[in-house]
Amino acid sequence: MSRFLKQTLRAALPAATLAMGMATAPAMAQDNVIRVGVTLRMVVENGLKYGQMVKDELEAVNAAGGINGKKIEIILLDDECKPDKGIANVNRFIHQHKVHLVLGSTCSSVSLPMVDITAKEEVPQIVPHSTNANVTKKNSAWVFRTAVSERFYASVHAKYLSENVGKKVAYLYTTDSAGIGFARDYMAFMRKTYNIEPLYEAQMQETDLDFRSHLLKIKSLGAEVLAIGGQSDAIARIAQQSFEVGIPSRVRRVAASAASNAPVPELAGDAAKGLTFAAAFVCTDDRPVAQQFVKMVQTKYGVRCPDHDFSQAYETAQLVKLALGKAQLTLTDASLKADRAAIRDAFANIRDYQGLASGPISFCAEPTPQCRDGNRTGILVEYTKGGKDYDMRVLARVSFEADFGLGQ
Amino acid sequence: MTSDTAPRQAYNPAAASRPGWHDRVHPVVPWLVGLLVLLPVPLLMRNAYHQYVVNVICINIILAVGLNIVKGFSGQVTVGHVAVAAIGAYSSAVFALHLGLPFWLALPGALVVTAIAGAMVGVPAFRLEGAYLALATLGLAESVRIVISGTESLGGAIGLENIPAPNFFGHVLDTHKSYYYVVMPAALFGMYFSFSILRSDIGRAFKSIREDQLAAAASGVNVRKYKLIAFVLSALYAGTAGSLKAHMSPGFLNPNDYTLTEMITLLLMVVFGGIGHIWGGVVGAIVVTIINDLTQDYYQYRMVIFGSIIVLTVMFMPRGIGGIIDDFFIRRRFKAIRESRANAS
Repeated sequence: MSRFLKQTLRAALPAATLAMGMATAPAMAQDNVIRVGVTLRMVVENGLKYGQMVKDELEAVNAAGGINGKKIEIILLDDECKPDKGIANVNRFIHQHKVHLVLGSTCSSVSLPMVDITAKEEVPQIVPHSTNANVTKKNSAWVFRTAVSERFYASVHAKYLSENVGKKVAYLYTTDSAGIGFARDYMAFMRKTYNIEPLYEAQMQETDLDFRSHLLKIKSLGAEVLAIGGQSDAIARIAQQSFEVGIPSRVRRVAASAASNAPVPELAGDAAKGLTFAAAFVCTDDRPVAQQFVKMVQTKYGVRCPDHDFSQAYETAQLVKLALGKAQLTLTDASLKADRAAIRDAFANIRDYQGLASGPISFCAEPTPQCRDGNRTGILVEYTKGGKDYDMRVLARVSFEADFGLGQ
Repeated sequence: MTSDTAPRQAYNPAAASRPGWHDRVHPVVPWLVGLLVLLPVPLLMRNAYHQYVVNVICINIILAVGLNIVKGFSGQVTVGHVAVAAIGAYSSAVFALHLGLPFWLALPGALVVTAIAGAMVGVPAFRLEGAYLALATLGLAESVRIVISGTESLGGAIGLENIPAPNFFGHVLDTHKSYYYVVMPAALFGMYFSFSILRSDIGRAFKSIREDQLAAAASGVNVRKYKLIAFVLSALYAGTAGSLKAHMSPGFLNPNDYTLTEMITLLLMVVFGGIGHIWGGVVGAIVVTIINDLTQDYYQYRMVIFGSIIVLTVMFMPRGIGGIIDDFFIRRRFKAIRESRANAS
């Protein structure tokens, strides 16, 4: 074989390999089936259970004859809280599986680029967990959010604690989006409302294990509130170490929304007592609908006290069923665009949905945060007991106007 | 003896070494043919998702070929390649977002930054080797990610958004199909350039360092200089890949996409393809990206599948696909020589 021919063939090798790879792609999408792409962070504890619960909830309608006689097909993928994976997943849903609806994601850093893609491709997207305010500030006509936006969350703490506990706040947070967002919004509220600067502020790495040097400094400054931003393990560690360095229990520990996750009280043990966080749901909620949900999760998924990520995933699945039931769907290849628009409009018409959330969920047609941040009620929850058999109580329930926090 | 009476299959070393018409063709011509072959690939794609995967493959090829220069050619152990790609990606994004530069200027700007970063990564290689160099580059890689996570102007942990897509004479290349015509030529050029390096004096110096640093130094090779060149060249590839990724729709960067997991995946491409084999690295990038994609549905077992591939490759295919391809061509060549000698006798 001549060198020229050999080199040319070698240059064509990538194309041939690609063609082989692509040949393994799934078959074309079926007609008369509603396809929903679900992408969540599932590599964490309970992550697989959130995903499985969403899948189970949506597939349960198939056993009952489907929605208006139409079956639902769920494509569930893990995005590992990595934007690259989320982008790949959403592209796959839209272009390969031709989904009618995208459900996801957990992490804000994944949901943010997903919103750009669903807006461009005109596919409705419902966000179950991400709290970053920019998710709906992009003004996409195709995005809806079940989770309580951080613009509300931040002020649930800030308003209640500044009025009832104190204004000398020390901030200790890790460099993940939830941690930064929590601290930044709290600080912004205090500056705007009271013109008060942080008593102390330190940013740590997600992987840091020892926070004692910062906590000793905070102790010496006489803080009234210790604001802890980060993911579950960091919150638990900081809470525990705050007691180890001798910060008294009268100093209110308040943490980002990840504090609602079960590992926090379990890891922190007694140090969890008094730890406060804003959430959309608490398993001690005594409403029948909430207790029914808690019982279902306990029985089916083996989780004693489902956190608000569980409740929001469940809530999102219920909203999806509601919207799909209201949408007039043709479900052919040719009607894909119209079906997607019909689902979007059905979501936009949901008003005062009373589910597990602490308040009603309402959407509307305008592509603004006011319309698309459907859940505007946060609750302030306090752990009354730590450890495996932890317990908690609701300190306050705070609802906001639709445009609250948008002027900041 | 006339040609009519001469044995037709006689082995004639002089004739074999005589330049044919193909040897008179400029080396770039086969690559241009390759470019023409690859141009219609978007037409073969079933959907835009496949096109997206192809674009990711092209970017991964650039990364793998670049890593091969420092690891395969010159034998330096680095796990900081992904961090250099992150530097390239964020530099390009900052040039575009904060300075308003178009992609075509942001890319060269990012290459300058990554070349400097590459030189900085290369300096520890003067004194460190093996696991120690790996640890040093790992530290640098994590530092880069942590600095990005904590820097507000780089989007912090949330990420940098709205990085503009390239604009080609008024046409915004923000679809997967149109972006292919940016990443595919870049990947081909990267491969061509890599072959050029390998066949040059620099490439021979790299290989001499890889085989034996002392012997190379004794033979007059400036080991420090060539190590530095290897790291800088490798960084240029990483910077190109990073910049291309940054400007690919939806134009979003996040430090979570530059972790040790991504570095291991990249190493898998090079190891699976065959360390030191350019084509092996290319095939490795293609295969690993496709495996990565096909295993998305089996997310519970994905890391097990990846880990198994690494273990099995190291055990049963230590020279990777490149080694198998090499053996195939060597066997063919020897067979041809044996046959022609047999015919001659």
